[in-house]
Amino acid sequence: MMVEQVSSKVLIIDDEEVVLDSCLQILEGGPYHVATAMDGTFGLEMVREFKPDIIYVDLKMPGISGFDVLEKIHLYDPTIVSIVITGYATVDSAVEAIKKGAYDFLPKPFTPDEFRVITRRGLERRRLVLETAALRREREMLRDHFAAIVSHELKSPLGAVQQNLFALENELKDQLSEAQSKKLGRMKTSIDNLMKLIHIWLRVIGSDIDNIKENFQPTSLIEVIGQSVESVEPHAMRKEIEIRTQLDKDLPLINGDEITLREAVVNLLTNAIKYSRIGTQIRIKAEIVGDEIELSISDRGVGIAEEDLPFIFGDFYVGKSAPVAERGSGLGLAITRRIVDAHGGSIRVESALDKGSTFFIRLPILPAQPEKVQTSDTERLASTQ
Amino acid sequence: MANPKKFLIIDDDPDFVEGIISILEGAGYEIDARYNPKEGFKALEKGNYDLLLLDIMMGRGAEGVMVARKMRKDPKLRDIPVLIITGIREQIAYLFPGSAVSPHFVEVDELVEKPIEPALLLDRVHALLERAEARKTKTG
Repeated sequence: MMVEQVSSKVLIIDDEEVVLDSCLQILEGGPYHVATAMDGTFGLEMVREFKPDIIYVDLKMPGISGFDVLEKIHLYDPTIVSIVITGYATVDSAVEAIKKGAYDFLPKPFTPDEFRVITRRGLERRRLVLETAALRREREMLRDHFAAIVSHELKSPLGAVQQNLFALENELKDQLSEAQSKKLGRMKTSIDNLMKLIHIWLRVIGSDIDNIKENFQPTSLIEVIGQSVESVEPHAMRKEIEIRTQLDKDLPLINGDEITLREAVVNLLTNAIKYSRIGTQIRIKAEIVGDEIELSISDRGVGIAEEDLPFIFGDFYVGKSAPVAERGSGLGLAITRRIVDAHGGSIRVESALDKGSTFFIRLPILPAQPEKVQTSDTERLASTQ
Repeated sequence: MANPKKFLIIDDDPDFVEGIISILEGAGYEIDARYNPKEGFKALEKGNYDLLLLDIMMGRGAEGVMVARKMRKDPKLRDIPVLIITGIREQIAYLFPGSAVSPHFVEVDELVEKPIEPALLLDRVHALLERAEARKTKTG
């Protein structure tokens, strides 16, 4: 504990020399390094050079204001604990400063004890903030590491089991009764589902979704939608659900990754089918809205309760109204959101219980190619002449 | 089949290898297995194989790739067709961007993901053998 305190650095920014001097005196002999600055500009320079743990900032100073100093400190390093010094008349502004991220305030005039207590509290706060940040970093590393462990230690043995089931089925193909074949089939399906689930977890835990940005290409949403519909069609047909598409034929291209976009659309379609009633319709629409393409997928299913709406794009959310047999991993929408985010787009939902849900994805349109601009210019010229 | 084709499989997971061997032997091929890249390459140099099945994610990372690179440099080995087996497709895409289908480590190769359905495995093996044969008649 003492060791940590020895290196504690306190910076005081105040235009009154009396205040600076008394602060220095009060802390003298304690486990602190203290530096002072007479105005905001110099104070901010000191923040960079001195690297303080806590900073006292006088709100009323000539030149750059205490509020601005606070804001800049917070931008520079949000883990630095800042405390405002203020006269009684400006308690309101102290409250305002705390709202803006200051940790505490020191009313003028103050006794040495008050100053010491607040300093100690501030340093304790700083210690906690740093500890929290370190824990968060550790958790993130664990996350990534965990992803690697799951990938190797679970996926490989499952793959081996599946491969042997394939082999077994192959060896016994002429000898198995129908019931035995079905048992084998169930095993294969279960393992396949397990492997898919691990794959999905890896997608959510790992950071690989962000990496897709490196391979963005001009992509046609019409094609993405077409392929997605095709892949969920069997599932829809089993529930006698009709998927209707209404697409703007001249939909411009977007900059994106076809595979993950398809995954996003398939996720939304799969959900729509899952929560739809038998014999209903799902509508897909895509149109230009400003400089974006808006893709919407509407179902007439069970809908989402209003109190659940804020959570549906989070990890592991599973709709309570889902038929038990249809429940998924609760990761589909989280992955979809991440894919859309990586494409610089946005996703939102409108839903009413028992009426159905509509999911909207917006993706930025690829800026026009130079040649195209030229042709349209010449056309415009030709038509005006 | 009077003279069965002989394959080598290099993969560090013996359980997985068993599942592959059973399918290939069932189809009349003869298979040798090695469980690490070093032994695997030695066997490849000595034996007279018609095809190599190669797991590329072995040991610490993509050690299988080293086998393929060494094959490429060897005029005796570079014409052997290779079926590359991988556990994780993303890793391939990451290691070799833009060549997820056929990484072209050697002249004739193709990529499949673990686990592999018997029909798909036999189909790929067959196609690779045919391509290698066609190349031989063209160049020879």
